[in-house]
Amino acid sequence: MKDSFWFPIVFMLINVVLFTGILAVMYRYSEVKIETYETASYQQKILGTMAAKIAEVTEQSPEEIIAAYPSSFEKYVQKLEPKDFEREVYKAVVDDQVVAYCFEIKGNGLWGSMRALVSTSTDFKTILDFAIVNQQETPGLGARIEEKWFLEQFQNRLFVVNPESNDDVTQSYEFIAETQTPVTDRQLKRVTGATITSDSVIKMLRAEFNYIYDYVRSNEL
Amino acid sequence: MTKKEIFINATFKDNAIWRQILGICSALAVTNLMLNSLIMGLGVIFTLAMAGMTISFIRAWTPRSVRMMVQVLIIAAYVIIVDIFLKANMPVISKQLGPYVGLIITNCILMGRAEAFASQNKVMDSLVDGIGSGIGYTMVLLLISFIRELFGFGSIFGFRIMGDWWTAWSIMVMAPSAFFILAMLIWIINTYYYKVKA
Repeated sequence: MKDSFWFPIVFMLINVVLFTGILAVMYRYSEVKIETYETASYQQKILGTMAAKIAEVTEQSPEEIIAAYPSSFEKYVQKLEPKDFEREVYKAVVDDQVVAYCFEIKGNGLWGSMRALVSTSTDFKTILDFAIVNQQETPGLGARIEEKWFLEQFQNRLFVVNPESNDDVTQSYEFIAETQTPVTDRQLKRVTGATITSDSVIKMLRAEFNYIYDYVRSNEL
Repeated sequence: MTKKEIFINATFKDNAIWRQILGICSALAVTNLMLNSLIMGLGVIFTLAMAGMTISFIRAWTPRSVRMMVQVLIIAAYVIIVDIFLKANMPVISKQLGPYVGLIITNCILMGRAEAFASQNKVMDSLVDGIGSGIGYTMVLLLISFIRELFGFGSIFGFRIMGDWWTAWSIMVMAPSAFFILAMLIWIINTYYYKVKA
């Protein structure tokens, strides 16, 4: 029977249906849990990038604000939907006053695309905080761009071309080895063994910040 | 062969990496950190054991012409089960693992053991062989990653071991160092284990 023409086809079909069915049932059963976690994780990152600024106004610590998720997210964070703007954007509002904005930005790394959240000052020129949402870089090498020390380097840095002087300060940022100590405020530490990924982060921030800044100069969020 | 002999053969005598030279890609890629190696190892142990058992269970009905397709299907299904389970129940660990879980499918040891052992042996023997092969693979990964993480980052499982005086060896973080260490390991074992035994 095993040598007949139809048996291998039927056998393969049964296996495909059986295993695909098991996976489908398992995924269906876990889907809500996975989506709930992903949404919470994303919202916590949004809150985290703006927590320091909210803390300044509310006299709480950033840690307290993050720990109070989801109530703090509902209280302070609002989603915006500006016309013809192709990025997710959120604002942090305390006592009817906007204290920070948070944008989802996209770029290309070494192996694939990456998504990040970046919070900005209300003039849209300076980075307040930065978090990676997802990336496909080499684990242990490029994937280390998610580490705190790397992301914190971008805080309070200007990331747009100054329209008056046409001065692009981002061009003057330079990477130094991870083990070195920056001696100027233009130096950033590169992840060891991940030159292309480190450079890609700068490229992404430069391109996305200029897109955002161009938009807000002629439109309202 | 007794189950004990099957286990010892799979873990040491016919070790997937140093004897069969299988699973080399992942041994080079994930061994820069010990935690990555351990997690990859645990995933491979589970998949090898479960896939081996299933392939062995259906071996009497599996036609030769489609056996490799069936094996790939079973291996892929178990890897996806691990992935879904971790995402739903251990999201933090799943996040740390990143692409590693998916990469288990590409590990040559899985197809190697399915074809060489599970498709010709009893269910429980295949389970023991899968666990043994997985432990043997994990052991080598941990050994390589111990050397790489210690010299490359000055840490073990993320805990700082070397003081501030230590200058990290960048080469240890990159893939070429895994080539050197793996080659030396195979050379040492061939010289002092197999040749002496022969």
